[in-house]
Amino acid sequence: MFKRLSILVFTVLLASCNVSRVVKPLEKGEKQLSASFGGPGIVFSGIPLPMPLSSVGYAQGIDTGLTVSAGLHTTSLLFGVAQLDAGLHIQLFENKAQNFGMTAAPALNLFYDFNAGNMRTYPQIDLLGWWKYLDEKQHFFYAGGGTWVELEREKAHEQVQNHEIMPYITFGHQFNREKWSFQIEARYIGMNYRNDKLVVDYLTPFNKGTSGIYVGINRKLVK
Amino acid sequence: MMKHTWAVIIFALLLSSCLRMDSFLYNPNTDITEYKLDEFEGETEIELDNSFDLPDSTLHLFTLNSDLDGDLAEIYAVYVGDISSISQDTVILYLHGNTGHLDYYWPRIKLLANTGHKNRFGVMAIDYRGYGLSEGTPGEGALYADTDAAMKWLKENGLTADRLITYGFSMGSAPATELTANPRTLQPSKLMLESPFASDDVMIQDASGLSLPGSFVSDLEINNGDEIRKVEEPFFWIHGTDDDFLSIETHGEVVFNNYDGSYSIAHRVQGAVHNNVPFVMGYGVYLDVVLEFLERTP
Repeated sequence: MFKRLSILVFTVLLASCNVSRVVKPLEKGEKQLSASFGGPGIVFSGIPLPMPLSSVGYAQGIDTGLTVSAGLHTTSLLFGVAQLDAGLHIQLFENKAQNFGMTAAPALNLFYDFNAGNMRTYPQIDLLGWWKYLDEKQHFFYAGGGTWVELEREKAHEQVQNHEIMPYITFGHQFNREKWSFQIEARYIGMNYRNDKLVVDYLTPFNKGTSGIYVGINRKLVK
Repeated sequence: MMKHTWAVIIFALLLSSCLRMDSFLYNPNTDITEYKLDEFEGETEIELDNSFDLPDSTLHLFTLNSDLDGDLAEIYAVYVGDISSISQDTVILYLHGNTGHLDYYWPRIKLLANTGHKNRFGVMAIDYRGYGLSEGTPGEGALYADTDAAMKWLKENGLTADRLITYGFSMGSAPATELTANPRTLQPSKLMLESPFASDDVMIQDASGLSLPGSFVSDLEINNGDEIRKVEEPFFWIHGTDDDFLSIETHGEVVFNNYDGSYSIAHRVQGAVHNNVPFVMGYGVYLDVVLEFLERTP
């Protein structure tokens, strides 16, 4: 019926809709602009593709091991939804001898719908481990996980919202040059959600969640 | 200053030309030059053997004028039965889903015309605006206007409200519910919904897993989950337990549970998906439960 058309394919314009904005906290005073593209995978008219979600962001190193960031989600804006994120990136530890470390990133995602005035807020927490395998070039792999937190306890038609979190696991790589860096990242999102009775055909070998692929580009600004 | 001005202009343009997903609700097929009904060789919703064939004399294909707030369109309709006896007959107005055109749903229309026995009930169906050969563009308002145009035609041919039953399948559950809850030309005496959807809110919340409002991506106001509360007339609901598109739990059960009218009956068809409920149930069993509901006196 509706099937095959994947009605409302952009409905997941929200959860996990950009690369990890800051994997390794910036140096104190360092500033960075970033752009991200990609999203959860769907099957649209028989063709597997990532949702074309995009966002731009800004980050600034506040102190050693502490960076703040904010982002604007441009695809959502095209739908008349102001989607913003703001967060901290806290270096939990760094082993300089072994070139690895871990970052925690609490954040807040805000939505305001200019069409109907609806608002939503979703707290988010990420935990990422990174490993610089070529110290002189600063490239690194990273992996970790995170979740969005659902604050609403009720869905449409007074139905109970049973899902309290939208978890995901992440694997990525960041190529670093002097001023520019590039990220490619894969995610498996919503492994606690069944996906076999939905209007959207999510791309996953399982009947839960969806996989996603994202790319990011970052430009460091002069301190 | 100039930069700021441009930023404001671009932002305003973005907001004023927002993308909306409403049009994705509709999946019409307009690649036909004529309706072929029994001779149609393309994909159909269900397949029937010859035992369900109907006399040619009972098949009527014609056009209606539909008025959507002054926007007139010629839409196609089919009536199965004796038009001259509509003033005595009970008529099922079958409102099809979002795919294809009348030829795609023709076997289903024929199947309903076999309820009880051949042509015991009149069956009418339409192609909404933008479907098949019908003029215009699909839209939520068009669904209601086109369905009301069918009701006007039935009324003009002698049908009274007490003998009109609306049957909505999937997207067709929207005009069926809306025009039973908020009648225009005729107040249907019974409402039948197969694999209905509750609202775009539910679609989006199911798809995202989050409690997102439908307004984030859509301007659709279809809300069977709430409109059904206004329906007093007897209500028949049928839904596949394995519906892989409109979940029985989040869509069908919500609509059924929100009904608070005079009588309701639910048929949860084990193993059926979105569009094969009659097939999985067995056509004979399906027609029996439809007949039982149609014959039930208030």
